[in-house]
Amino acid sequence: MAAKNHRQWLADPALKPSEWVDSRIYSDPEIFEEELEKIFKKSWIPVCHESELPNPYDFRTTSIAREPVIVCRGPDNEVRAFFNVCPHRGMIIERRPSGSFLEGQPSGNPKRMTCMFHAWQYDMRGNCVYISREKEGFQERLCKEDVGLRRLRCEVKFGGFVWVNLEDNPQTSLEDWGAAAFTCLRKTLEAEPLEVFHYHKAIVNANYKLWHDTNCEFYHDFMHYHNRVTGFNDAYFARKNEAFDHGHIVVGTFEVNYEKYEGFDSRAALSFPHLPPNQWYMIDMFPGMNFNLRGSALRCDIVTPLAPDKVMIEFRGLGLKRDTAEERQTRINHHNSIWGPFGRNLHEDLIGVQGQGTTMATGSEPRRILHGRHENQTIHDENGMRHYYQEWGRWMNRSPSKPDLPYAEPVSVAAE
Amino acid sequence: MPRSCKWGLLVDSAALVRDTIYRSTILLDRQEWNDWLAHCDDNFEYAIRAWSPEINKDVTYLALDRNGLATMVKLLPKHNTDHSPLTRHTSVYTVDVDEAARSAKAISSVVVYQTLLDGINSHIDAGESRLFLVGKYIDTFKLQDDQAKFLSREVRIENRRLDKGSHWPI
Repeated sequence: MAAKNHRQWLADPALKPSEWVDSRIYSDPEIFEEELEKIFKKSWIPVCHESELPNPYDFRTTSIAREPVIVCRGPDNEVRAFFNVCPHRGMIIERRPSGSFLEGQPSGNPKRMTCMFHAWQYDMRGNCVYISREKEGFQERLCKEDVGLRRLRCEVKFGGFVWVNLEDNPQTSLEDWGAAAFTCLRKTLEAEPLEVFHYHKAIVNANYKLWHDTNCEFYHDFMHYHNRVTGFNDAYFARKNEAFDHGHIVVGTFEVNYEKYEGFDSRAALSFPHLPPNQWYMIDMFPGMNFNLRGSALRCDIVTPLAPDKVMIEFRGLGLKRDTAEERQTRINHHNSIWGPFGRNLHEDLIGVQGQGTTMATGSEPRRILHGRHENQTIHDENGMRHYYQEWGRWMNRSPSKPDLPYAEPVSVAAE
Repeated sequence: MPRSCKWGLLVDSAALVRDTIYRSTILLDRQEWNDWLAHCDDNFEYAIRAWSPEINKDVTYLALDRNGLATMVKLLPKHNTDHSPLTRHTSVYTVDVDEAARSAKAISSVVVYQTLLDGINSHIDAGESRLFLVGKYIDTFKLQDDQAKFLSREVRIENRRLDKGSHWPI
């Protein structure tokens, strides 16, 4: 068909409803608010890596679904998470991105989380241990035992990432939720301690799912000159796109020919444990986290949805904790040459998702976004996105292709 | 302090370093990458780094030698990129010359603006200038005759929020 008139343009595509989505799921404020409540406040989110708080009393701050969160390591070496909110007057307790509570603060003592506003203090288990002028103000009506911090489910797992769930009683344990998807890399990621060496963030005007879509589909490798020259061969096109329970996707590995990009070297000398040289695995976790291992470096993307058409993406790079300085620098260079903010691929990915966000800004005309490629569940099959949106539909009880209607399982699920 | 070059003319090494930094800024703004590299020694090392209080580490965002940079800029036309021009405002703060070693070190403030072209929605945004990077150039030079050649450039930026980033040397 040639270019379309308005009616034709808005018509449903000649595909099954599970093979496209309505762009309102990327732009509608009501759907966005629902996602925060129904998905992000009930999902396991990796908020940082344990190497970011290596010592007792180290802390790291973050947020999930607009709720400020603090993660700290106790004197017992346990990592715990709390709302970063003082129960007194709602002040954010710790304003820095990271640090150590071993140092005293202007309003408080060492080894305490102190709200600077009125000097209420909490220990690393979230117990309130000091209320300034407690008896004078509250007499016997309220005491520090009544006002501990809001504790959150928190586990260190799957390569040392710190996972937090705002739900007191998650539907699924973290192990049951993620273990199957991590099977391909678990032995590798848990062979020895990992360490973060890279951090930067991007805020782009696009829905968070559009970024996750980009991580879930490799058809866009046509956009990347680097991936075309280092990857496009029979082994690349045979890579499997495998769906796992809970909306997770794993893209299988193959050997990347890095040296085919002029100026780039093989990553073979610094392969992660138990992996052959120059492998490339990708694990995409519902609702928007990505673990991407390319030979010598692990990348992790964590999305924080900010608005229907605005997302923050935090990018981390990790190597082995035991790296020598020379090995670490080589890993950093490998990571950044492709995935750094000045690398070859990440810039292209972000331009792509920003371009989608531009056409799907809040208030823009709803249109159909196709996820309909079938290639025997290999690399350019779009089954990963279809699988994700089935899970999304279940959590939201909305049809991804007709979001005003309740979700119904597609007839073709078994075939996927 | 001025010194004599091989033609017997007086050369102010510090002025020469400042002039090289400013001329390089213009070449980088014009995206005349190879002309900029012509001011760099064969052993030139380039890096973009920042301190990340998020992970409590110094982070390296890009590190290349002269050959690596030359290859990178050669391949730029093969990549999709945000073509929004970058404008660097450079102020040289200090130049320390070691005449005996024929070397110099300079620290400059650099602020990089991005004038949007095709990065977002060109109808709305094209023509708008935004602050892109804040940082310093930490440069070392080899002094020879009437030239100051870059031996190294560390672009030490404050930013860790880098949004779409860039394919270009800063």
